[in-house]
Formats: sequence, structure tokens, C-alpha cells
Amino acid sequence: MRRGRWIVLLAALLSLCVADAQGVFAKTLVLVLDTAANRATEAQAIVTQLNQVGINAQVRVWQTSVLQPQIIGGQRSAYMTDWGSAYFDPFDLAVPKLVTRGRGNYSFYSDVAVDKDLQTASSTANDVIRKSAYFDVQKTIYKDAPWVFGYVLQNIEASSTNVDGWTPAADNSETVYGASVRGGDSLVIGMRTDSIGTFDPAIPPSRDTETVLRNIFDALVAHTPDGKVVPQLATSWRRVGPATYDFTLRTGVKFQNGDPLTVDDVVYTFQRVLTPGAISGQSSPRKDLLGPLLRVQKLDDTHVRFVYAAAFPEVLLLQALVHFQVVPQKYLTQVGEAGFVAKPIGSGPFRYVRGTVDSQLVLERNDGYWAGPAKLREVVFRMMPEPSTRVAALLSGEIQIAQEVAPDVVGRLKASPGIVVRTAEGTRSYQIELNDKVAPFDDPRVRQALNYAINWDPILKDIYHGYATRLATCFLPSGFGYDPTLKPYPYDPTKAKALLRAAGY
Amino acid sequence: MRPLRILQRVLLAIPVALGVAVLAFFSLHLLPGDPVQIMLGDTNTSAAQIRAMQHELHLDQPLTTQLALFFGQLAHGNLGTSIVQQRPVSTMIAEALPATIELTAAALVIAVLIAIPLGLLSAVKPRSWIDRVVLSTSLLGASMPAFWFGLLLILVFAVDFRVLPTSGQIDATIALQPVTGFTIVDSIITHNGAALWSALRHVLMPALTLGAVFAAVLARTVRSSMLDAMGKQYVTTARAKGVSETAVVVKHALRNALIPAVTVAGLQVGELLGGNMIVETVFSWPGLGRLVVNAIFAKDYVVVQAAVMLYAITYVAANLVVDVAYTVLDPQLELR
Repeated sequence: MRRGRWIVLLAALLSLCVADAQGVFAKTLVLVLDTAANRATEAQAIVTQLNQVGINAQVRVWQTSVLQPQIIGGQRSAYMTDWGSAYFDPFDLAVPKLVTRGRGNYSFYSDVAVDKDLQTASSTANDVIRKSAYFDVQKTIYKDAPWVFGYVLQNIEASSTNVDGWTPAADNSETVYGASVRGGDSLVIGMRTDSIGTFDPAIPPSRDTETVLRNIFDALVAHTPDGKVVPQLATSWRRVGPATYDFTLRTGVKFQNGDPLTVDDVVYTFQRVLTPGAISGQSSPRKDLLGPLLRVQKLDDTHVRFVYAAAFPEVLLLQALVHFQVVPQKYLTQVGEAGFVAKPIGSGPFRYVRGTVDSQLVLERNDGYWAGPAKLREVVFRMMPEPSTRVAALLSGEIQIAQEVAPDVVGRLKASPGIVVRTAEGTRSYQIELNDKVAPFDDPRVRQALNYAINWDPILKDIYHGYATRLATCFLPSGFGYDPTLKPYPYDPTKAKALLRAAGY
Repeated sequence: MRPLRILQRVLLAIPVALGVAVLAFFSLHLLPGDPVQIMLGDTNTSAAQIRAMQHELHLDQPLTTQLALFFGQLAHGNLGTSIVQQRPVSTMIAEALPATIELTAAALVIAVLIAIPLGLLSAVKPRSWIDRVVLSTSLLGASMPAFWFGLLLILVFAVDFRVLPTSGQIDATIALQPVTGFTIVDSIITHNGAALWSALRHVLMPALTLGAVFAAVLARTVRSSMLDAMGKQYVTTARAKGVSETAVVVKHALRNALIPAVTVAGLQVGELLGGNMIVETVFSWPGLGRLVVNAIFAKDYVVVQAAVMLYAITYVAANLVVDVAYTVLDPQLELR
């Protein structure tokens, strides 16, 4: 009898141990996934997968403007976010998102080594050091998993088949200087925005503003559609000191009103940006893109110098300069800010003829363009914020290029005669960010488990029709310093469960 | 209506507009989000510069101070400067308003042209097949979302048949000399036939979309008030006098039946203004509705406040016009 009792007790103890190992007594991980309506389907699919590894997950759909302040205030724990970068360098993606208290650091991630590496990468001119710093950051965040790494979406645009010499750009800009239309000399572009906001290159509210402005104005350097920097108003440049760059200006360039474009115009352009309140009392929101730039000064009639307070990488300066179009000093001071935005004048391949920033803009060829006149006589930018209207207009032949086509209408467009769908590598990272400051996501094992628990392939295939690429971290393949050896977390529910168990769930 | 009473009503519009502006101001500020943050998007900007921009735009001031600033400017006849576009709001509204008035007027014309004959027909022959068709169509028209109906029209007439343009106000290739800002009026003044044709083709679908709901409601009102009027003693008297049936319907019954129709029309102007926001977005129509929608998304308080005040004034004005029209249609009302 006594022995029998012991056996029963032992068996009970043993089953307790087994039950514990099986996680019977562990807490269940509860996860509320916040999202805006546009990604609700995706969030639902993710939640279903998380439920399969024993996480009690559910979706909550919000209005972006309501959700955003709550995220920033640290009141939410898991949220679907995205962040774009038109820099082709992690500078304006990794820095705001990963640096301690960065503007876009919604995960509240903080790591001394990452901060130091990112500081190095934005303050040294040596590309080898910068690259190795970025590689270190990627390795660290891959392991730390501050959030659930996601994917990058391609830019999908569609055009009529008779448009030549045009391709969508990674930064959504539409540079139509080299474009032509078979059987015509006029091109109409259906823009995804409701308004480009302004004609003043010093205060562009969005990428869409630049889409148009880059056709009217030139900058010192320009982007190719895949993000490479090429000379434009500057013919060459060199670093003359750790914090000093000299640019040689192209000669014989004229503004569309006939005034010559001089070094003084370049200096004036940057003065407007650097001086607080220089644009009729308002400061340029773009100032910080230039880094610790002190001043831009005239050396002689063809040379201009950029003087920095501290070392600043050449690649960052060049990427920034793409966004600063040169304005005519004489004309602008003559007509004032209001006169300038009413009738902008630049040195670009097309000049503004008529239209308003929130309906349609008609540009005409600038026959005196320094690189030779464009093939098109006329370019029209039409604001068509409603995606289905853009597609309808393309199908009816009213527009020749439609910006931002939704993945689910691509099939229909491809089947339509006379229309071709084109894509460019995207520059926006989509992810599920986690609040690393509070339980349960203050435990890296839980964050890693989530990275293993989600099978992205069917989601990207079914919802984004294959127009998305998985990312190993938030670093984009199109950017400088991308580590191609890091592979995205594989889908491994067993490992996810094991990690959760180790973390006490 | 006596001139004094009209003046009274006009003056009443001022406190209404101001009150609505205050409401709009506080409800916009209740919504989370900050125009500077929205404007900057994903740009890598330092916290210091964000604060500086907020300071320049007075967004760091207490709400009451911001409201006082707004009213201070208003007292000087200045509607303020748009946060996003950095242009005077009055200019922006002046640019957008003609397009909206043109669209609304076109919608009204289309609605009246459809609704009055249909309402008349179905009232003259109640329970006939034509009456049934009118009733069921107007039910459909009143319940159809403008967003959906607009897209449907685009698909059928612009994409499949390619007889009308999908969106916009005029062909971009046509240069029109602006005189009044009204596309149709300007093309007539400047004898620009191509522009007129293009403008009319462009306005048709958005006006039909906007006017559909209005036509439906109006047709039903005309029908019921005509039925009512046709049963009145003065109609019997007119018939007894030997007046022709057409004259009975048009001169005697319709004139009286129009009074409720005018009320409905006046109240619907407010609906039309609301509908403008959707229709102008779908058809990329560069009017006030789209301006307001953009401004709300960008949290451009200054623009929204000014536009909301304008809406309020329009609403009051529409009601006033209705009251004046009453006295024209029914002189008895003057005595009350």
C-alpha cells in the first residue's frame, strides 16, 4: 500500500513536470495588433498565424491620425508601420527609426553600439568605415529584433505602350525630359496626390511636389530612376577638406526668363534654406537634410563652396542636393514669394505655363535648355487622388502615365491592350513595430519568436500579388551599406514556440 | 419680405458663421495629429527644427491664443495664410469657389430638368406604369452612394464608350483666358468654342452624380405636392371654368405645388455642398470640396475654418433665398 502511494505521487509529479514543459502552466502571450484600415487584411492574416503558435492575438483597426499619437506616446504595444527613404542611404531611414529617441523610433529601441555606429556613418567621409558601421548595425538589430521585420513594396505604375523613354523611379519622381510619345508630342501624367502643395522648391511638402518641380527646376545634381547621383547644374565636385566641398558650376545655363544662372543664384538658394524665416517669415523644413552645413559661399564665377561644421559624408551631401532645386535670385527678389509661386521660373527642361497646384499643371518645353530641348512639346500633370479614377483615365486614353497602381488592378491593366505595367524598386520599409520598453516585448526572445512565427510569403503573394520583397532588417537593398548576407528570419513555428517557452509563455 | 427683415436675416448670418468657425476650430484640434508632423512626413528632421516650425505657425500657443489670433486677423478682413501652401486662404478659396459654384449650378439645372417633368408626369397619372418607374428610380437615386455612382458613370461613359472625359474641369491642352474664373462663363465671354465644348463635356458626369440624389428627392416632393394640389378646390374651379387641362396643371396646380419643392431645394443646397466633397474627389474637380478634404487631411486648420465659415454663410443665404422665393410664389405669406 505504502509503495503504491509513492508511485502515484511520483507519477503525479512527473506529469506535472511534463505539463510544465508542455507549457500547460505558462501564461499565454496576449498581443493586440494595431493597424490602419489599409493593412487590415494583412493584419488579420498575421494574427491567424500567431494564434497557431499559441499567441492570443487580435487585430484592432484605427484611423491613422488617432493611432499615431498613441504609438508615439508609448501607449500601444504592437503596430503596423511604414517609413520611406528617398536617400538610397540608411541615413534617413535607420537614423530616425533606430537611434535612441529618434523622430521615427516608434519601438523605443535603444542600443549604445547602434547609436554610435549610426553617428559614425553620418559623420565620416570614409565610405569603408561607413559601410562597416552600417553592417554592424544590421547584425545587431537582426539579433535584437526591435520589431518584426517586414518587406519593401515595389512602386507600380502603368503607362500607355506608345510612351518611350520613361520608367518609374524608385523615389516616385517622374522625370520626363527623355520621354516621348509615338504619334504625339504631349504627355499627360495622372498624379496620385490631390495637390503638389507649392511651387517653391525650398518648402516642398512631399515627394509629389518634387515630381513636378524637378521638371521645371534643376539642382546641382540629379537622380537616375534607380537612385544614382549624376551631374546636373554642377559638372564636378570634390572634397577639399574633411568638412568642405567645392562644386564647379555648368556655364552658359539660362533661366526660363533668359537670365543667366550664376553662382550667386546657387548661394541664394541655400541661404533661403539655411536662414531661419527666410521664406516670407517661414523656415525651410528641409534644412536638416543638409546636415551640419554652415554656409555656402561663392569662390569665383564658376565655383561654389559648401562649408560644414563637422565632417559630413559626400554621399549624403549629394543625395541631399538632389532635393534642392536652384531658384533665380533676381526674379524671386523682384516678384517676391507670392509672385514666384504664382509664376515659377527655373532652369529645367520644361517651363510652367498654366494651372494650379491642386488641379492640373501644364508645362511646355524649354527650347533653350542647356542639355538640348526635350522631345515632348507639352507635359500635363493632373492631380487624381482617387486610384480608380487614375486607372479609368489610363484605360480611356486620357492620360498616358498613371502613378501608384494598386496591386489588385495590375492583372486587369496587363490584360488591356495598349497598356504596360512597370515597376521600380520601392524605398519604403513596412513592418510590425513593437514597444520594446514594456512587457512582453522588452524581452528579445519574445520579439525573435514573433519574427519566426509569421509566414510572410503567402501574405505577400496573396495580398500584394508578389510586388513585395522580404527584408532581413529595415535596411533597403537599394540603399548604401546593405548587407546581402543577412537573410530574413525564416518561418519556423517550432523555434517560435521554443523561444516563447523559454521566455515563460 | 420686407427689406428690414432681409437685413435682419443677413446680419444673423454673421454670428452663425463665427459660431461654426469656433466649433470647427475646436473639433479639428480635438483630433490628434499635428500639421507640421504631417507636412514633414518621413523627412529626417531634428526635434529642434520641428519646434521652430511649430513656433512660427503659432502651433505651440494655447488654443485660446490661437483662436484669438484667428479672430484678430478676421477683424482685419484677413482669413489667414494656409499652413501647408503658405498662400493667403482668401486666394485659395477664390480660386476654388467658381469651380464649385459651376458644378453645383449644373447639378441643380440637371436635377430640376429631370425632377420637375418626372414628378409632374407621375402626379398627373398616379399608379400608372410611369408613376411606378419614377417612384422606384427616385428611390434608387436617393439611396445610391455618390462615390459608387460616379465611378460607375466613369466606367461606362469614359472607359467603355469613351464619349466623356473621366475627370477634371477642362482639357489641359485648351488655353482659356481667365476673366471671371468660371470656366463655362469665361469660354462664352472669350468666344472660345473649343473650351466651352470641353467644359460642358467635363461637367456633365460630376453634375449628374451630384444632382442624382437631389433629383430623386425633388421628383418625389413635386409628385406628392402636385397630387395634393390636383385635389384642391381651385383646380376643380379652374376645370369648371373650362380652362384647358395643360393650363390647369401648369398654371394652377404646379405653381402652388412648387412651394414645398422650393423648400426642399433650399435645404438640399446644404446637401449639395456636402456631396461636393465626394464628387469633387472622384472627378478630380478643383473646387472647394476638394480643398476642404485636402485641408482636413493635412490638418490645415486655417483653410478648414475659413471654408466652414463660407459653408455656414451659404447655408444661411440659401435659406434666406428660399424665404424670399416663398413670398414671390405665394404673396399671402407676406402678410404673416
